[in-house]
Amino acid sequence: MGSREKILSALGTARNRGFEVELSFPILSFGDRVCAFVENLKKAGGESIVVEGELSKILAREVGDADSVVDTTSILYGSFSYKKGEEVDVAILGADLAVAENGALWIDTEDRYPRSLLTLARKIVVILEEDAIVDTMHQAYERVDFSKVSYALFMSGPSKTADIEQSLVFGAHGAVAMTAVLIPSKRA
Amino acid sequence: MKNHAAEAEKFVADSARAHWHDEALWYVRRKRDVAASQLPEWEELREVAGKIKKNTVENLAYYLELFEREAQNNGIEIYWAMDARECNETVEKILREEGARRIVKSKSMLSEECGLNDYLQERGYEIVDTDLGERIVQLHGDRPSHIVLPAIHLKKEDVSEIFHEHMATRKGESDPEYLTKEARKSLRRSFLEADAAITGVNFALAREGAFVVCTNEGNADLGTAMAGVHIACMGIEKVIPSARELGVFTRLLARSATGQAVTTYTSHFRRPKAGGRLCVVIVDNGRSGLLSSGESEALSCMRCGACMNSCPVYRRSGGHSYGSTIPGPIGSVLSAAGNMDEFASLPFACTLCASCDNVCPSSIALHDLLYGLREDAIKSEAYRGKRTLLKAAAWLLLHPSLYAFVMNLYRRLYPFIPRRILYGRWNVWGRERELPEPARRSFAQIYEEMSDGK
Ligand code: SF4
Repeated sequence: MGSREKILSALGTARNRGFEVELSFPILSFGDRVCAFVENLKKAGGESIVVEGELSKILAREVGDADSVVDTTSILYGSFSYKKGEEVDVAILGADLAVAENGALWIDTEDRYPRSLLTLARKIVVILEEDAIVDTMHQAYERVDFSKVSYALFMSGPSKTADIEQSLVFGAHGAVAMTAVLIPSKRA
Repeated sequence: MKNHAAEAEKFVADSARAHWHDEALWYVRRKRDVAASQLPEWEELREVAGKIKKNTVENLAYYLELFEREAQNNGIEIYWAMDARECNETVEKILREEGARRIVKSKSMLSEECGLNDYLQERGYEIVDTDLGERIVQLHGDRPSHIVLPAIHLKKEDVSEIFHEHMATRKGESDPEYLTKEARKSLRRSFLEADAAITGVNFALAREGAFVVCTNEGNADLGTAMAGVHIACMGIEKVIPSARELGVFTRLLARSATGQAVTTYTSHFRRPKAGGRLCVVIVDNGRSGLLSSGESEALSCMRCGACMNSCPVYRRSGGHSYGSTIPGPIGSVLSAAGNMDEFASLPFACTLCASCDNVCPSSIALHDLLYGLREDAIKSEAYRGKRTLLKAAAWLLLHPSLYAFVMNLYRRLYPFIPRRILYGRWNVWGRERELPEPARRSFAQIYEEMSDGK
């Protein structure tokens, strides 16, 4: 008998899913989700900019005089190329989901570029429509369609550590800075 | 047997450092309190998390099989390991197939439990812990003393020395920002050259056939993005039904651990990257045995560390005093339940204050479990002396006239017993306390006199 069978049989013969646990309590909601998102991302060390005027101008300002920029949204530059393991100054990404309660942005590589871009870019700029901000992680996971995901993450601010005497330092391994660029909802 | 009290004594010998350790952890605990207070539904969330874990653990075979099937459909390779040895062998087998020599590892308490680092190093692999705290501890030839804050027992001056010795940082420079940046540079090279990446698993999603790794540093993401093969080791209890439940756990984990609203990177792995391999090793190593014991609730633990930060004993005795991979209240439960002969002193490393129960995001009744384990501990060989003494005391208390006689004798002799004997080595209680002067007459005597007088 292999280990798989040994372990499974040690767990008993019953094979059922038990019950589905209800989430039957009121869940935190925000009057102004954008405001809460901005505030919570800030707590996590990230910046936010609400777009007024032309998006590409704002992106250009965010990029500044960086040497290497990978724009996966093709808004600032028409196309992009990125090879695994390349260290770049700025990565521009798009997100279509974010969470007000913790400032996290859902970043899905969709296998369009090597995963290392997300950690080897010194600065990450994420473009997001304000409509895409939900209250909490509960609503966030309702919106994710995992059948399309290979690798995706909720990212809240730049990489950080407090492993030396609880002193917070940004840029432990991945991005040193993160900016969310918020596009106001059309309804507003 | 490991002796927690004796080990703790070494830790408290440096009282300034012990005090600092206590404060540092209490600071983290307070951050947790602030984060928890910001969610009106906090207590409901904890309750639900406990229920979800309980339900999953009770139907673990179903969820593990579902996870396996779905993960395989997604191109993830699934391996099963009965014990630590098989886990290590499986990992090595995969590394050999890939011809991998250089390995980056992000935090995994399971790999600590299995002694994976030593196993691989002995066989010539170069394994680098990439979590900053774990890296410090690794360079120091030390072990983590906390599951979330592995280097909490070290001060920045210690880190400065360790880095100076191993990474040639400036001598005496102990600014955390500087030290972190130097570690970033040094580890960046390891990441870029890695052949294989090993991670733990925070949550495995049965229905989605995916798993989640949570870090603040992004080290799991960077390592797995660079290396050709990603090996994730998970205990069988890490599976949860689906992403729906993940919402509950991601809301609780970081808030309980560090007071953050969420970990910086909450990363979902569902398919291998192009040209790469994604392997999951599902490890039992005593967990299925725990399931049928009175301590099965301990399998609900999500390894947030809140019980440690809250524990007055842990904060004052340090993680190493427990002598187990996982310290603190949950570590005491897991270790004692798994190997009572070795860890019989751990259920006593507890004041039964229940502070841990009140913070545990999985609502584990830790102090009840510890109390129950004491009853088993006292039966172990290590406590034979104490057991005999207690039995003798119980016998004495059951014989009132003999008891009265002995106590009378003690009252008379007390003034003549030399301190040397009364406070000898046998009297552990007398080390920090003075015995009260015995009353000249016993309660029974006084009572008798008073009723006579009526
Ligand atoms: S027992 Fe509870 S409080 Fe302790 S580490 Fe596990 S989940 Fe956290």
